Amino acid sequence: MIETKPVVLNWNDVKVGDELPVHKRQITAALVSGGAISATRDYSDVHHDYHAARRAGADDIFMNILTTNGLIGKYITDWTGPAGELKSIQLRLAVPNYPGDILELTGKVSKKFEENDDHLVEIEYLGKNKQGNHAKGKVIISLPIRG
Amino acid sequence: MAIAEAVLNSYIGLDSERIAGVDAVCEQMIRHWTEVMEDTNPLYSDPQYAKNTKYEGVIAPPMQVQVYTMNPLWPKPERDPNSMESLLKVMAEEGYSTIVATEQNQEYFTPMKPGDQISQIMSVKEISAEKQTARGPGYFVTFAYKFINQNDEVVCQQTFTILVYNSIAAMKEEAK
Repeated sequence: MIETKPVVLNWNDVKVGDELPVHKRQITAALVSGGAISATRDYSDVHHDYHAARRAGADDIFMNILTTNGLIGKYITDWTGPAGELKSIQLRLAVPNYPGDILELTGKVSKKFEENDDHLVEIEYLGKNKQGNHAKGKVIISLPIRG
Repeated sequence: MAIAEAVLNSYIGLDSERIAGVDAVCEQMIRHWTEVMEDTNPLYSDPQYAKNTKYEGVIAPPMQVQVYTMNPLWPKPERDPNSMESLLKVMAEEGYSTIVATEQNQEYFTPMKPGDQISQIMSVKEISAEKQTARGPGYFVTFAYKFINQNDEVVCQQTFTILVYNSIAAMKEEAK
């Protein structure tokens, strides 16, 4: 294990309008099929069987929603560090993620508020690939405060 | 051919039985998840780091909750079909046999730790009127899920919307 000190994003240092770093992820067949079967236990054929995906009207096997959701959660906690506590993820899917695509994730702080002793921020994120918007929505996460 | 509204509506609001996941939350499944996602969050994978946090040990990624209650490929679970399965069967018989997920909302409450047993209770929340979509004619169906641990604490509340459509109809249209 390489000892690295994790990032700690403090609520005090976040402003509405702050942009998260852009994250690009290469979508491979291993990510699509492994995301479905290995990571999320989803055996729906459209996520691992090219011919089944074609029959369903898709161009190729495509990423399942649980994998997209996992990538969104990772994107947000990569930015906050492990002290960020995910409260909710809202996710709307549009165009599919196919092998060969590059998913580009961006996000912006849309709200900063306090609720039940939690110091929260809301992030509006967008995941795009070459065909258009793959996923968009909002995430709420609580952050530590200084002091 | 649209399905009678009364038939569809008969599936709404019935809570399924509480179904326990096959595997307890475990470090192996967490690792398979983080490996695919490339998620380096030490809360999920570094016991040394996690021990000194309020969780006092590693936790599973909250987004992983539903993974613990997914139906195994084999053997098929021995239970009566739930409202989701029965509804999808009726829709498939009418030609709406292809499914694509369109929306998911998760709200997290209690963290998951290795050893936790996750169960789910689900119900059909809403069914749209028949829509003509780019993929073909279909229905947007929204399910509500509640994930609970062995101490009856709610881990996550989720809604999940799928488009159930007739892909053959769209292909026939295209071929004209």
